[in-house]
Amino acid sequence: MFTKVYGASRPVYLFFAFLLLLSFVSPSRAVFAEDSAYREDLVKRAKEMRLFEDRYWDVLLHYKRSGSGKKSLITDPRFFLSPSGKKDPGAELDATIRGFFSEENKDEEPPRCRFIARYTWLKEKLGIDETRLPATACTKFNEALASVNPKSAVLIFPAAHLNSPASMFGHTLIRINGDFQSDLLSHAVSYAAITDDSNGFLYAFKGLFGLYKGYYSILPYYEKVKEYNDMERRDIWEYPLNLSEAETRKMLLHIWELKEIYSDYYFFDENCSYELLFLIEAARPSVDMTGPLRDRMRFWVIPPDTIRVVREDGLIEKVKYRPSQAMRVQMIASLMEDEDQKIVLAIVKKAVPPQAVPGMSISNERKARILDLATELLQYKYARRELEKDDYLKQFLAVLNVRSTLGTQANDLQSIPQPSQPEEGHRSGRMVLGTGYTTLGKSLFTEVGWRAAFHDVLDPDAGYIEGGQIDFFSLRGRYYFQENTLRLQSFRIVDIVSLSPRDMFFKPISWKVNTGFDRELFRDGQEHLIYRVNPGGGFAYQNRILGLYYGMVETDLNLSGGLKDDFALGFGASAGIIKKITDSWKIHLSARSIYYEAGDVHQSMKASLTQNFRISTNNSVSLSLWREKTFYEYQSEAMLGWNYYF
Amino acid sequence: MKKTFVVAVLSVLFVFVVSSAFAAPKKSSGSGRAHKNVGCGLGTLLWQNNADDSILSQSLQATTNGTSGNQTFGITTGTSDCDQPSNFAKNDRLNEFVVANMDNLAKDIAKGNGETLATFAELMQIPTEKRAEFYQNLQTNFAKVFSSEHVVLASVVDNAAAVAPKN
Repeated sequence: MFTKVYGASRPVYLFFAFLLLLSFVSPSRAVFAEDSAYREDLVKRAKEMRLFEDRYWDVLLHYKRSGSGKKSLITDPRFFLSPSGKKDPGAELDATIRGFFSEENKDEEPPRCRFIARYTWLKEKLGIDETRLPATACTKFNEALASVNPKSAVLIFPAAHLNSPASMFGHTLIRINGDFQSDLLSHAVSYAAITDDSNGFLYAFKGLFGLYKGYYSILPYYEKVKEYNDMERRDIWEYPLNLSEAETRKMLLHIWELKEIYSDYYFFDENCSYELLFLIEAARPSVDMTGPLRDRMRFWVIPPDTIRVVREDGLIEKVKYRPSQAMRVQMIASLMEDEDQKIVLAIVKKAVPPQAVPGMSISNERKARILDLATELLQYKYARRELEKDDYLKQFLAVLNVRSTLGTQANDLQSIPQPSQPEEGHRSGRMVLGTGYTTLGKSLFTEVGWRAAFHDVLDPDAGYIEGGQIDFFSLRGRYYFQENTLRLQSFRIVDIVSLSPRDMFFKPISWKVNTGFDRELFRDGQEHLIYRVNPGGGFAYQNRILGLYYGMVETDLNLSGGLKDDFALGFGASAGIIKKITDSWKIHLSARSIYYEAGDVHQSMKASLTQNFRISTNNSVSLSLWREKTFYEYQSEAMLGWNYYF
Repeated sequence: MKKTFVVAVLSVLFVFVVSSAFAAPKKSSGSGRAHKNVGCGLGTLLWQNNADDSILSQSLQATTNGTSGNQTFGITTGTSDCDQPSNFAKNDRLNEFVVANMDNLAKDIAKGNGETLATFAELMQIPTEKRAEFYQNLQTNFAKVFSSEHVVLASVVDNAAAVAPKN
């Protein structure tokens, strides 16, 4: 075990204290002249071989080009043996080689054990004679190696959960498989920001500007499965990497070096997904993923994008899907009659005792399924604190007791088609080129749009969650032919919509929030730029014929010098239907009415019909029509646009 | 009247945007404590952030992947507060697995199949060809293995061992 963080009992501490004492009394060996000659010879040879410019040295130290030189992305000074190591690969190499001759411990281990990947690589490159180095057993590392026993590696992506589109940004992890047949017994490595901040503004600010420390962690995979699948209701995608055992071992050596080492965590770029790529590069330095991602002139890295990169580099061949608890509930329910589902609800609500199920005049298969679904639901409700522990335990055990009398049933969940893989969806950036006509000034216009990320409700669904939208930095500019003018049409900083359908078992709230600059019709009959904050909440439902339909109440705050009192604050409602007519054709019909009762008092009503036709993974065409009435002024508009996802 | 309306609407806006959008993850939760030992029996689940209760904070959280506390290189969950099973006292990995997954294990045993059950059998070193028999024995004896809702590690493992097929 790497470190037993919890639960070490007192005798263990005493034992370590004793060891520590021993290490003080044992005489430290002097470095003999012969050793120092050998040491300097190695330093000289490494310099001649220009190993400090070697690709693998860059990978192990996380060096990236910075101005005319190089700079490591790792912040923690303990990661470097030379005081100038962060910016000077040569000095760090010299200090590392000299460090191998040192018996001084660095983080409780001699440098050659602490930085075992560097040592292993340099030993091979320089043919280091280990007998001429101070002896060490690297006990801690070897214990960790034996415990993890690296054989192969898997890239893990916990996908978005239903009611939180932003969790699409999610997380990626790497799993290291050992000898066990069961995946649950493998180890998961992840990189995350460590924080105890409870102030949200601070949290967002610090996350954006790299003020948190990011650490690598390693935990049993079953802990991660519980965390994402069972408690956060996120499906997990597992992509086995085609790394050999030797390559996987190299990865673990590097993970060991990163133990308890921090870097500044930036949630847009130097985040979990980006940092994990270094581990893959340490395993197979011939692939360079961190470089291109950094050089592509974008300031964000999104997990599905990293999966695409890893896939393009030929490391992924297969995929395994692990449905979350919420998804399992839906999957089991989809195989059941309505009346059986009602029995499940009655059991969970204690209206029907589970003991009544065996006596029902239905097949054993149906009885088993009723109890299986009740079990999943009870666990789900307990995880969400909708049930007290005592109640949960009594019900849970009672259901299972009855279930155990009904024998084994075939696992037919595998027959249910799994959702499309996250990396098979469109890329997350979007450019729009469109042309349209507006009745305002009776003008034709051309529109150019750019969106940093990620997905809106009309974009093709493959790889994303239907009804989920999160747009970051969406910019639209227009050129009006009639007036010969160029205008900013809108700049949405963030625009989130989460339409999460309610059904018999789940009662989520759908919600939206957007903020940014928009153009709105004023009483002068012209469009003016306003700043808007527009949150709302409501319910959504799924219907086989209608599709996804929703209703929301919302508030809308508009700020502009052109408005009376410089603002208008309103309250209103919106409703809509999103229907997938074919796999590549989606329509969204919506209406919205807002009564602005404070500031500049007025009303606004809008109706729109937008459609999207998917042409290929990264191309689609959209057609939008809308009509509005604001301040007694009418405006209609039609636009045809081509979307390219980059 | 109008003033009341303004105040009402503004408060809705304020509450929604500020508290929801920028409410940070709760201090006491977070995966950092997910592997802390909190008991030896059923229902020893550790609370995550409730995914739906602060919707937008969830968004921010997801983007930062913040974890509170010290989730670092703790591979083990720890069972030192639990009575150790007599038959498998030295099998740390088995004991830790059972403590961390007891609810899912109970579910799989009652169903007679599942990944958690297969993992349990592997850790109990039941030969592959005897697993079907083991699963069936466990299912038949569910009420004995999980004798009450207060069942703990030691009795689950010992009772399971008692019905394991003889080699």
